[in-house]
Amino acid sequence: MRMINRLPISIVRGLLLGWLAAVPAVLAAQEENLAEPRTRHFSIGITAGIDRNYHSVDMVYMSDMKFDKFRTGSVYGFRIGYAPLKWLSINTGAVLIQKNYHMDHVFEYYNLRYSLNTTMTNDYVNVPLELKLSVGRVVQIHAFGGVFGGYWLRGHRKGNTYSFSNERYFDVDEDWEFNDKRDNRIEKGFTWGAGLSGKIIDRIEVGAEIRWYYSITDIQKPYMQNLNPRYNTAFAIQGGLSYWL
Amino acid sequence: MLVALSLTSCRKEPLENKGNPHHRVCKTYSQQFEAVWAGMDQGYLFWDRDTVDWDERYEKYKPIFAEFDARPANKPVTIYEYNDAYIGLFEGLLDHHLYGRFYTPKGIPHGYCEATVRPGENDYRHSTDPDVERENQLKVLRKKAIPGTMLEYNPNSTYDIPGSYFCLIKGANDGELIAYFRFTNFFMVQMHQLYEYASNVVPDAVRAQAPAKAFYGPRYHEGISMEGAGYANNDSVVGIIIDLRGNGGGSVADLAPLIGSLAQTPTLVGYTRVKEGYGRLDYSAWSESWVDCPKNMHLKKAKPIVVLADIHSVSCAELATMLIKALPNGTFIGERTYGAIGGLYSGNATNIYHDLFYSGCFGDNEYFENGPDPYKNIFSYYVYTSTFHMVDSDHGDVEGIGVQPDIEIRYNKHLLESGTDNQLDRAIRFLRVGH
Repeated sequence: MRMINRLPISIVRGLLLGWLAAVPAVLAAQEENLAEPRTRHFSIGITAGIDRNYHSVDMVYMSDMKFDKFRTGSVYGFRIGYAPLKWLSINTGAVLIQKNYHMDHVFEYYNLRYSLNTTMTNDYVNVPLELKLSVGRVVQIHAFGGVFGGYWLRGHRKGNTYSFSNERYFDVDEDWEFNDKRDNRIEKGFTWGAGLSGKIIDRIEVGAEIRWYYSITDIQKPYMQNLNPRYNTAFAIQGGLSYWL
Repeated sequence: MLVALSLTSCRKEPLENKGNPHHRVCKTYSQQFEAVWAGMDQGYLFWDRDTVDWDERYEKYKPIFAEFDARPANKPVTIYEYNDAYIGLFEGLLDHHLYGRFYTPKGIPHGYCEATVRPGENDYRHSTDPDVERENQLKVLRKKAIPGTMLEYNPNSTYDIPGSYFCLIKGANDGELIAYFRFTNFFMVQMHQLYEYASNVVPDAVRAQAPAKAFYGPRYHEGISMEGAGYANNDSVVGIIIDLRGNGGGSVADLAPLIGSLAQTPTLVGYTRVKEGYGRLDYSAWSESWVDCPKNMHLKKAKPIVVLADIHSVSCAELATMLIKALPNGTFIGERTYGAIGGLYSGNATNIYHDLFYSGCFGDNEYFENGPDPYKNIFSYYVYTSTFHMVDSDHGDVEGIGVQPDIEIRYNKHLLESGTDNQLDRAIRFLRVGH
């Protein structure tokens, strides 16, 4: 079970190291750009895409409860950027991102078989604050990294449950009822990634990027001593449109 | 590299896997305490409602059990100390089914002790033994019954479980009758199944079936029902009393034929949920709990029904009370029920439910039923606790509170001993005068 928890960490480390290795190359390539001052400093934009969330949880001895490693969701929002230099900008904004997960609980005992499943759809609003390094003229390459804060806006669960008294399954399709004692709706974490962009007309730029939202806050409050932590890590592919003011 | 490492170290490490508390082998007092505490921590259903601080209990009782382990051979743990420790650990917990049995862990060389806990028993109780109370109530009933109508049905005599009774009582006007049913337990379908499938090995199976035919009619084997009794649907019967006083519960299998048959369609009695994970508040969604109405064997026309129940009406008897109270023609007279409404699976065959739903009974059921077996590796503890949480059809919680009567009539020992059953009298008056 612990391997499940280790897997994304190794991926995260690898990708982060790759990203860090790319930064000096981007900086080295700035010599040409430095000579050219930036005439417009502020940009606003919209972004949309899909994400795959990894929900990290260790079920300890409950080995018949399986969590899907990755679950797809959507992400969209807006961006604001300030670029004091041609190759450096500071970005923020807000995205509505789904951090979904799925649980399968199959239990077999001689001729008994119970199969329960739940898909959780979770809407978060994430507000990143990041530094972006850019290189290139017609098509720019970016590498960026920073922090984000978030809030768990809404949850929805769909699946089934089993009623003992009726000895049958019931479908479940309901909004998640937040429990103030249990649910930690505030989220904090790190975000980083890389992308490409290019101007299509004078002030309008299109771009695409891949990014990670790596949460460092447990989705549960520490309401009990023996609590197993649960974390979200979302990998997103986003496209966007920016307008330079 | 440092950034990458610091990122991953921002997250907390998962808990150490100490094993399933349902199956742990305990060789010391501390290990037993840890297993019992963890079993409750993860599998107890009422943490969102319970006021007990379970983490605080851990901090308080861990050193006490550690001190038990440190005792020298000439100062063994006494049964009083052992009992006090477990009673204190469980004190005040809400689950009224909760019943723990603990034995000195195997491996302790001296001082064998046994402790039992039943925190729900601290509630209000009658001062009379329920068996004596029932006998007194029956004496009064025999006087009120129309002569020749009293029937007793006892399929459970093999297990020394008291029987059920039926009689007719005069209504308000000539020719009007009240049908009275008393169910002292809800093991009837279970017992029937046992007799049906094991008649060769249960010596009194045939003898037990004979009164069943008299009580419920020739179709009794299709389900014990009101129609099977042949009375409730009679036009001269203007009201029905279901007496569940002193009914300690049983199997939900009895509910449809005995109580569901009082309605004309299936009845939503409430909602249930189980655990869905390791955390105390990892609950499943609520699922509906319906009580079926037997297709051809039910009350064809709605009639006023009074359910009589009291503090000794437990578990399934409370569900039945809740169901009748929920009917538009149902009225609950008596006093609050015990408050053990959470559903429960226990016994060796059903102990798998703890592994399935992470809630309910855990530990060694054989020890619980039969006492310690020195040849077994695990025999030192068993906790009997609810497998699923049940609320009523308005999502009202009755665990530890009991079902509340529409008309409260408290048990009166002196009146009953002098030949007056004030609760039954109120039920008869209600059906005779309509309020």
